[in-house]
Amino acid sequence: MNNSHVQPGFTSSCAQQNMEGIHCDLLVIGAGMAGMVAGARAAVNGLDVVVAGNPSSLVFSSGIMDYLGVYPAGSKAFLDDPEEVLDRLARDFPNHAYALAGHDKILDGFGFVKTMLEDAGLPYTQHSGAAIVKNMVVATAMGTIRPGFMVPETMAAGALENGEQKTTLLVVSIKGLNGFSAAQVAQGLASRFARTIPLEVELPGIPTGVPPQILAGRLEDVKIQDALISQLLSHAPKADIIGLPAVCGIEDSPGIMAGLAARVNRPLFEIPGPSPSIPGLRLKNAFENVLAGTGARLLSNIRIKAPVFDGKRFTLTAEFDTESVQIRAKGVVLATGRFFGKGLHARRERIVEPVFHLDVAQPTGRHLWHDNRFFTPKGHAINRAGIETDGLFRPLDERGRPVYTHLYAAGSILAHNDWARLKSGSGTAIVSACSAVDAFIEARGGGDGI
Amino acid sequence: MKKTIETQVLIIGGGATGTGLARDLSLRGIDVVLVEKGDLNDGASGANHGLLHSGARYVYSDVEAAMECRSEGMILKQICPQCIEETSGLFVAVPGDDEAYIADFPEMCRKAKIPCRKLDMDAALEKAPCLAPDAIAVYEVPDAAIDPFKLAIENMTQARGLGAQYISHSQVLGFKMDKSGIGLARIKDTRTRDEFSIRAQIYVSASGAWAGGVAAMAGIDIPMVFSKGSLLVTGQRLAKPVINRLRKASDGDILVPGGIVSIIGTTSVRVDCPDRIFPTVGEVDLIINQGRQMVPDLGVRRYIRAYCGVRPLVSSKDGDDRTVTRGFALLDHGEEGIHNFITITSGKLTTYRLMAEKTADLVCGKLKVSEPCKTGKLPLPMAETGDWTAPGASLRHGFRLPDRNDKMICECEMVPASAIDAIAADVCRHRGRPDLLSIGLRSRMGKGPCQGSTCSARALAHLYDTGEIRGRDGIRDLTRFLNERWKGEHSLLWGDSLAQSSLKEMIHCGLFCLEMEDE
Repeated sequence: MNNSHVQPGFTSSCAQQNMEGIHCDLLVIGAGMAGMVAGARAAVNGLDVVVAGNPSSLVFSSGIMDYLGVYPAGSKAFLDDPEEVLDRLARDFPNHAYALAGHDKILDGFGFVKTMLEDAGLPYTQHSGAAIVKNMVVATAMGTIRPGFMVPETMAAGALENGEQKTTLLVVSIKGLNGFSAAQVAQGLASRFARTIPLEVELPGIPTGVPPQILAGRLEDVKIQDALISQLLSHAPKADIIGLPAVCGIEDSPGIMAGLAARVNRPLFEIPGPSPSIPGLRLKNAFENVLAGTGARLLSNIRIKAPVFDGKRFTLTAEFDTESVQIRAKGVVLATGRFFGKGLHARRERIVEPVFHLDVAQPTGRHLWHDNRFFTPKGHAINRAGIETDGLFRPLDERGRPVYTHLYAAGSILAHNDWARLKSGSGTAIVSACSAVDAFIEARGGGDGI
Repeated sequence: MKKTIETQVLIIGGGATGTGLARDLSLRGIDVVLVEKGDLNDGASGANHGLLHSGARYVYSDVEAAMECRSEGMILKQICPQCIEETSGLFVAVPGDDEAYIADFPEMCRKAKIPCRKLDMDAALEKAPCLAPDAIAVYEVPDAAIDPFKLAIENMTQARGLGAQYISHSQVLGFKMDKSGIGLARIKDTRTRDEFSIRAQIYVSASGAWAGGVAAMAGIDIPMVFSKGSLLVTGQRLAKPVINRLRKASDGDILVPGGIVSIIGTTSVRVDCPDRIFPTVGEVDLIINQGRQMVPDLGVRRYIRAYCGVRPLVSSKDGDDRTVTRGFALLDHGEEGIHNFITITSGKLTTYRLMAEKTADLVCGKLKVSEPCKTGKLPLPMAETGDWTAPGASLRHGFRLPDRNDKMICECEMVPASAIDAIAADVCRHRGRPDLLSIGLRSRMGKGPCQGSTCSARALAHLYDTGEIRGRDGIRDLTRFLNERWKGEHSLLWGDSLAQSSLKEMIHCGLFCLEMEDE
């Protein structure tokens, strides 16, 4: 990372942390996908940025990055090309992040993140072979398939074309790892491959119920890799391709996977499963490295509250375990997530945004929040609740005007995006984070006195 | 040629009464088959407070029912202590409650021979620190908590040991009538859709809220009304004793401990049909707003789950369904010319044994069997597989994993793989097919704070590894299991519970895309 992105005539104020607290250009609240991308985007553009939040939330990410996998909610097929439905989405939800930003900006955001992660040693793969970038389709530990716009390189070899691969797949589970059954994956995917063969391997020193992060760490050990290889070798000749649970190393998963593949002389790929997700942990580490490399400051495990705006700057209180510090920032990106990330809070009677007490677009009563079927095809109305913004991703007040000139919102807190149904989480996070930061930079470049 | 099973008595319905009757008849040496359209306790037997009434609840409305509860409660405490926690119960009045009602309470209890002791506020708060400090009267009575799942499992287990047969997921489609009554029951396996027949000498419908529908197949009209009652499960146990509101039966006025949780209910809402019901947001709020008057903590507690059952009432009277007698209805359809058909319905969990006894007496009279009832004295044996039903059951196992190779499947409720295996084997033994729902029914799996977010997938992987589930059946199983959990979640999702359920959606829709699968 270098500072060539710094705009002319733009000097970054020196960060200081003293008795008066922390000063910065931009405070990003939240350290999930949107917060990390916003922090990185700001830092590489020369802003003095502080990211405050809990990066561990990224271990809930499968590692797969979605643009748009399903539209409209309830349709029974995955989208091949997200751009094809973007106009329709914009008509249906004019305030959706994708409607505000547009396809080019979305692709630009994915490109930014891809380059950044590649530089951090975590390469991603996009659909290859066509002029337009389309969705890939990969298998999951459930034995189901899901789309992905950008998948970790370690998952790419398992990608399916038109929902299938005409190969023989060897699915490998590791004894002791709870919740990943080779038999289940093999039977779930049986119709999508020429043949699927389950295999359970036993690795030395791996206890029953081993936490995935421990197992992933152990798989960086050459001796453990040897044990894995020796058991794969007798079965590899039967197979064209080999799928493993997504636990193959933490620090250098692409290197480890490439090494293993070379030794068994077969393409290898990882199959994502539930949290704690190792591909999510790798993302967390990569983003942290990116931020460290750009000089952005990451304040982990703190809570931001009590914002005050004096007409020029925001002052917020950051609470650590036992102490608190004041943060002064010229702009703020609110990327605090939804209910699980505590960016939104549901009281018994209504949904509130706890930091800035912003207006939350939401159904009129709790009885409308959820359908009485969990897997309702249309999705639950509450999943479309959230913060509405203007085209610069600035939250709006009840009269439809930006609440503050330099308060932005990004990520899953935004309204009208049922990301779990539409498979649109990462793309929304990326494009809103990039757009918000770009808008802030633009405003500063325009010399509006900040 | 379809299969026909021959037996002396066919029992329809696997709730508390049906399983109790299976045990009672088996102990008298009678050959029994029990068919259940779902699985054990799928109806009201599995959707109540788990309260073993002292009878004090009924001293005003129905002294006879109160006395039945008292004597049955005493019997059950003797014969199946493993299913019961002797918690005692408090009756609590708060400002605004009917003072005449409060004043009469001790005398009414005395008339029903129910021990009742007035507590001063200090003593009351010592027994239940969560009580509203401004309570104006507190009495203590011998209420207790009972585990209806363990009870049904153990009744059925002993009956099966004596030769009875339990057939789950099998629904009566109709009866073939002959000149003396019912000649044959036509049954459908609801999972394989195979049809078969059962020929019995006597047919007993113990099908609770579905008794009217079963009787109609024999051409008999039983006028039934359905009163839905919803209940909420708290994340933690709020009090050692049962806490009742000292007033005329109403909404949200009983708080019962169940292992490490507490259950607050109920409501009473007339419904047209006992199927496809779920607690509504309005009911949830009503229960909380009423319950918090006697236990203020209920206003701020995290709730794990809501569920509801249907009180089957044989009556067509107007007014509050809770004022209709809660006594049971034992109907000998010989009076309508069908001499080998009996219906036992309504009643209470507390009196299930008595209902079974009276029904068995009637059956024996028809079969000319003179064996007396043994269930009043004979202890109910403990069944190994009944061990995983109670909230916090694993705490009684001392957090002990028997074996280092035993995986933990449900971390919230500490259900290990060995428990899943034991339950799966037991389900197989009575010609069932183990799946997540049947295991969930027999264990605490998925019933903790995460409501199956992660353990459901772990259990499924384990069942694939052990070969219990094959092909793509697991995806349908998981979908059904999570939809079943959802019935009890969606009305009380706010705060932390909503955050948790959103994680569940992130995993099962966001990652696994289960909503895209055909059910």
